[in-house]
Amino acid sequence: MDNRSGNAVQLRFGGSGGQGLQLSAKILAATLLRAGRTIALSQSYEPTSRGGVSRSDIVVGEGAEPVDFPLATELDYLVLLDEVASRSSLPLVRGGGVVLADADRVEPGGGERLVLRRLPFTALARSLGNERVANVVALGALIAVAELCSLATVEAVVREETPRKFLDINLEALAAGHRLVMAPAAEAAVGC
Amino acid sequence: MHMSTRQNLQGNHACALAAIAAGCRFYGGYPITPSSEIAERMSLELPRVGGVFIQMEDEIASMGAVIGASMGGVKAMTATSGPGFSLKQENLGYAAMTEIPCVIVNVMRGGPSTGLPTRPAQGDIMQTRWGTHGDHPIIVLTPSSVREIYAQTIRAFNLSEVLRTPVILLYDETIGHLVETVDLPDPATIERADRKWATGPREGFRPYADPGDGIPAMARPGDGYRSHTTGLTHAEHGFPTQNPADVDRVMHRLLGKFDQHRDLIDSFEALHTDDAEVLVVAIGIAARAAGRAVRQARAAGMRAGLFRPVTLWPFPEDSFREHAARASTVLVVEMNAGQLSLEIERLCAQPGKVARLTRFTGEPIGPAEILATIQERARHGHA
Repeated sequence: MDNRSGNAVQLRFGGSGGQGLQLSAKILAATLLRAGRTIALSQSYEPTSRGGVSRSDIVVGEGAEPVDFPLATELDYLVLLDEVASRSSLPLVRGGGVVLADADRVEPGGGERLVLRRLPFTALARSLGNERVANVVALGALIAVAELCSLATVEAVVREETPRKFLDINLEALAAGHRLVMAPAAEAAVGC
Repeated sequence: MHMSTRQNLQGNHACALAAIAAGCRFYGGYPITPSSEIAERMSLELPRVGGVFIQMEDEIASMGAVIGASMGGVKAMTATSGPGFSLKQENLGYAAMTEIPCVIVNVMRGGPSTGLPTRPAQGDIMQTRWGTHGDHPIIVLTPSSVREIYAQTIRAFNLSEVLRTPVILLYDETIGHLVETVDLPDPATIERADRKWATGPREGFRPYADPGDGIPAMARPGDGYRSHTTGLTHAEHGFPTQNPADVDRVMHRLLGKFDQHRDLIDSFEALHTDDAEVLVVAIGIAARAAGRAVRQARAAGMRAGLFRPVTLWPFPEDSFREHAARASTVLVVEMNAGQLSLEIERLCAQPGKVARLTRFTGEPIGPAEILATIQERARHGHA
């Protein structure tokens, strides 16, 4: 039985509370709106300000009408920033779905069913000067893989949503994440 | 604000924006997950339209402040979740008894007590109906999407004004925190209803006299009407009475005051119900899952339908009975231990007809599980 029912794409940002997963999803949702898409964005977090399993899911609709069931049932893309979210998220990825996992914080695995790519999100963020922009590095990588919207549109949203003090590092993080997928050699120096 | 353009909007923010559009100019509240975004947004929006926002010392005081503001002539609201809603119950009864219009939002999380504060549940279905003491009239509306939160919040204010009653807006955490792409109506096109104000002679004014439609007009403060408001059982003149004949008469009017307005109050969504063999009943996020399950069941040749009450209380029972008459199974899907099921079992009054799919783990019930249960019952029906 079809478990998607008119949803074009389903994505998740999963990790540990405080990693900026909700923010990455919010930026991507705003970008998709700008690209004319209809989305449903849902979230789950634990009653702690940091730590615990945190995730934010986006279901992209096929038309202008709101999606029928707004929660993810079968992920096409999963961004994993911490091992803590693996167990609850990996089984939800469809066969052939893509997992972009942080090389420092997520164990290798995924099995034959999935395409699991371990990428140096945290290491790259650290090299830019702040480990906390790993969520934006991952967002850059995701949009390069998923091809849902252009880098320029995401950049425009980041410019609007980010306090001036953190704007430059976020733009750098976004571009670095994008290059990580588009031209992996350029980031090889960071290693994983 | 770019109100008429497409936007990604959170359910709780839609509630706040709709309240402003409906004319709400007072918010008294105490924040609690997962309702806090309503208070946060109201604190930003109300000052822009000349309204007042107060974070009160607790939920009891919040409900009192809302009633006071409304008695002063201002449309008022508060928002909370299960534990806070429990604290509001005494004053909620006072509002029902004194017939003060107000809107109370309850965004449901897992309970009882502190429970699962960030996870969704639907455990307050009965608390909204019977949480306060004594027999009392109450209206509860239960939206299942961001767009519907906006529409039903406006409707909650209009019903509370026109029918002089507290109205509760009830939805689960998933719907409250859900962000959906919506296109909101232009606020200028929104219909706002206002309460009936007393306009007749001041001499001999009887604040609780039935004008014929069951809904007395309110005396606007400063208009010169001599008026008395009390939670004690009161006769038409507004003063306390214990005379059994008077109590019987005024309580019959109070408890029956929605009877001639059910056309205004009842609302529901019916999907593929005409020839449904398995009829699913659900609200909130469970209804969104049920909608997909029913469409998938239809695609697979099963005669499934969905009855989704939008007005939860008073339950749209006449319409439900019509839609359920031909079904062999009524499947109630809810995120609690079985609350709506009790009402549906009462309305069906047929052993074995009502099946339950319930969960209280903090995880929403998905379309696949509902579809599997529909399949099982459809086979059972044929056997």
